[in-house]
Amino acid sequence: MSAEGSRPGIAPDAALSSTATRRPVVRVGSWLSLPYRRRSVVVGGILAVGVLLLALLTLTLGTLGIPLTELPAAIASPKPGRTEFVLNVLRGPRLVTAIGTGAALGVAGALFQTVTRNPLGSPDVIGLGAGASAGAACFGLLLPGILPVPAGALVGALVAMGLVWLGTGRGFSSPGRMILVGIAVSAMAVAFVQYVMTRVNQQEATTLAAYISGTLADRDWGDATEIWVAVIVLVPFALLLGRRLDLVEMGDDVADSLGGRSSLTRTLVVLVAIGLGTAAVAATGPISFVALTAPQVARRLAKAPGAGILLSALFGAVILMAADLLVQQSPFGAQLPVGLLTAMVGGVYLGYLLLREWKKGTI
Amino acid sequence: MSAAPSAPAIGAAPSSLTATGLRLAYDDRVIVDGLDFAVPAGELTVIIGPNACGKSTLLKALARTLEPSAGQVSLDGKPLSSYRSKDIAKRLGMLPQSPIAPEAITVRDLVGRGRFPHQGVFRQWSVSDEAACDRAMESTGVAELADRQVAELSGGQRQRAWIAMALAQETELLLLDEPTTFLDIAHQYEVLELAARLHREGRTLVVVLHDLNQAARYATHLVVMKEGAIVAQGAPGEIVTAQLVDEVFGLPCQIIDDPQSHTPMVVPLAAVAR
Ligand SMILES: Nc1ncnc2c1ncn2[C@@H]1O[C@H](COP(=O)(O)OP(=O)(O)OP(=O)(O)O)[C@@H](O)[C@H]1O
Ligand SMILES: [Mg+2]
Repeated sequence: MSAEGSRPGIAPDAALSSTATRRPVVRVGSWLSLPYRRRSVVVGGILAVGVLLLALLTLTLGTLGIPLTELPAAIASPKPGRTEFVLNVLRGPRLVTAIGTGAALGVAGALFQTVTRNPLGSPDVIGLGAGASAGAACFGLLLPGILPVPAGALVGALVAMGLVWLGTGRGFSSPGRMILVGIAVSAMAVAFVQYVMTRVNQQEATTLAAYISGTLADRDWGDATEIWVAVIVLVPFALLLGRRLDLVEMGDDVADSLGGRSSLTRTLVVLVAIGLGTAAVAATGPISFVALTAPQVARRLAKAPGAGILLSALFGAVILMAADLLVQQSPFGAQLPVGLLTAMVGGVYLGYLLLREWKKGTI
Repeated sequence: MSAAPSAPAIGAAPSSLTATGLRLAYDDRVIVDGLDFAVPAGELTVIIGPNACGKSTLLKALARTLEPSAGQVSLDGKPLSSYRSKDIAKRLGMLPQSPIAPEAITVRDLVGRGRFPHQGVFRQWSVSDEAACDRAMESTGVAELADRQVAELSGGQRQRAWIAMALAQETELLLLDEPTTFLDIAHQYEVLELAARLHREGRTLVVVLHDLNQAARYATHLVVMKEGAIVAQGAPGEIVTAQLVDEVFGLPCQIIDDPQSHTPMVVPLAAVAR
């Protein structure tokens, strides 16, 4: 401390030798060495605290909220009654689903944006959400009873992705084509949903409309388990691919000559992103804009190159938890689809983004 | 003219990187067809040729970033496709003509990415990675720029940062596509001297250049391409003639002796004299 104070006027950057500004590395012997960034660690810590706070607020706020003092006891040994009902039925599964879905969407968006080198990339751009809606409409209303609605959404999303795969002529290795074909597939799916809407009665149409804007209302532990299994299996995969994905950012020629196998990497990354996106859709229906915004804000906070997978996961969870907290505490009641809120906020953000890109002259 | 300092014995040196019957195409457009080429081991090979003649295309195929539609490239007699991708990357590096710098990346991080083939899931940043990056930044003169963002550098500084990334890969074979573009004349010669030094240290280099005089001065083996084919190769002193330059580039010229290096020097004929 005093040594620093004794030479005022010297900018710290100028005084440090180049070794001092090196990235810190965790080393164990010679077999483990992991570099990290201090800024990312700090941002990640803050976001993790945010997740915790939002979880506490979700469980404790409102007339049905569990008082903070009773919460530890309620979680440790839930006794049947009102508290147990709130924890195990009303808010617990909903909260856990929100965290998992938000994280899944954040990572899916981060992967898509990096692989397409496009800040507007997200699984929705290639028709994942629209395909899920069409599947939900088809199996929920047109041919009821064959499949439950979430499974129908899953089938719809997978069919849409299959069409994109076929339509590009070279699978998922060419992002440009993927986006073009995705737009066409989306349009077809949306048209199909509208067709179904005209064929059913108003009551059914309203239920469908709520589902296809994405909702966290009435989630159960099954939904929570489903999304968390996907997150636990696929996010480590995403992290493993992340280093190769970083190379693909530098262009295919550089990536390939470094042994990064750009084409294979891109295909795997897209598959993982689709896996996470579909799992999210199956858990909650298509919630829009979380996948688009989370990675962008995460990247801006981290000020680092690369996909920022973990930070995007955390920020995705924070966004979705915050949105759902608002919905639950809003005067419209907890049944309001959270997707409406994310779409509204996300729409504003998208407008800002387009304006900025426009000013930069990139569109 | 005959004073080439060290004429390589063409065909005598065992070459580890060879292309046979190569056909290279983008979709259906064939750029190169039936090309055979052996990269002479231990030489500094320079490829010259007019724009769009297929220099970069050939380099990409040699570095296996472009899959040939016929023929093959082999390393030590085995086709490149039979190696693990990372194993090739430890021996063969390439810097393309226009690489893309990721957003918000610093010079140090960019150079560090050149270490990928030497790293693993658990060993992501070993002490030797650190040392290789320091050496690479030192020899390209970007050590002082280490913490600057690549996007904020001048064209020449950026080019040197990319070369440092390729050097950090520490390969015995290095392919450089127009490493001197964007550089002022002094920095151009600095990069060429760096290439010559790497060559003296025992590496095999293949460099695409546009300046015929620089090519003739630094190449120990010169390859002249036109319309996807190799029209001449050998020691610069033996193959560079006024007739060849006119035939390949359509530039009437006179060849004189470079007073410094005693390599051929191309002097275009004055327009009034044509
Ligand atoms: N990715 C690509 N897709 C389609 N065509 C390409 C692609 N890259 C190059 N070409 C075409 O291949 C031909 C040879 O290009 P190449 O880049 O190999 O030329 P070059 O000799 O390196 O030229 P320059 O001196 O301008 O760099 C050109 O006609 C070019 O238009
Ligand atoms: Mg070129």
